[in-house]
Amino acid sequence: MGAMADRLEASLPALAGTREFGTWMVSEQKRVFLLCRRMLQDTGEADSATQDTFLKAWQALNQPDSKSLDDPGKWLTRIAVNTCLDRLRSRRWQLWRRRPQPEDEAAILQLAQATDPNAEDQAFARQIRQRLDGAVGKLSLRQRAVFSLRHYEDRSLAEIAEILNLDVGTVKVHLFRAMEKLREELHDLYVRDREEHETPGRN
Amino acid sequence: MKHRDETDFENWLREQTRSLGEPEVSQDFLAAQRRNIYRRIGEPRRQLWALRWALSAAMLLVLAGGFAFERLHKTAPAISDEQLFSDLSDMEQRAEPKAIQPMHGLFEE
Repeated sequence: MGAMADRLEASLPALAGTREFGTWMVSEQKRVFLLCRRMLQDTGEADSATQDTFLKAWQALNQPDSKSLDDPGKWLTRIAVNTCLDRLRSRRWQLWRRRPQPEDEAAILQLAQATDPNAEDQAFARQIRQRLDGAVGKLSLRQRAVFSLRHYEDRSLAEIAEILNLDVGTVKVHLFRAMEKLREELHDLYVRDREEHETPGRN
Repeated sequence: MKHRDETDFENWLREQTRSLGEPEVSQDFLAAQRRNIYRRIGEPRRQLWALRWALSAAMLLVLAGGFAFERLHKTAPAISDEQLFSDLSDMEQRAEPKAIQPMHGLFEE
């Protein structure tokens, strides 16, 4: 999660070289793409958004008045989130938008081998992920951004506030409402899983 | 109590999604994406030039269209010689312009 970029402790001008930028891009690319994919829920659009993100980063790095940054990873995340929010806003008017094909998605994204060997748990987790994707699509733009950063990127509330240019209180409210909506959407799965785990004799 | 439920749900959700691990993204896809980024990094100036040309062409087209439209509507309507002579004689016979005629009403008793 931007660990390499954090370790680099790079300043913007230091990343402005093509080779340094290339190395940094390789280390951040997958994270940025998955963040965009989670926010946009469309692999093709996430691909474009990731490209836009790195293009914007490159252009900013090559500005003559570019300033030093403590955390390039966070800076890049902010660009990515804003790019996705812009796309989500403009999507409202795109009635002709092509829906992503499941086979296209499958060719690009494969679920990693799970650490849990239990196939039943695996299938259940997949079901949750599928339902979660649908439920996240129902969240507002800000709620979606806050949830993605918190849940998948493990960002602190303060970091999320900084990335989204909001105050911590507002982030808390967005997160609370997002969790409330998700809980409503996934209630049946949650209850089923709790009951199964509370039933004695289950492995 | 409600707060505990919410925290439990959040933890449960995190636990479930983590059990699947992070999706793997195809290396070919990432490489193609990088190539596209590098291609686009080299493009902005060309794009700007293309935009300038497109704007200039669009402006020219609008100007030419406007000019043609104006010319089309400015041409005098064709009237026959007979109509012209009849209009002229009409004007000659009328002593004063029509616009003045209502003024007479003010002074007539």
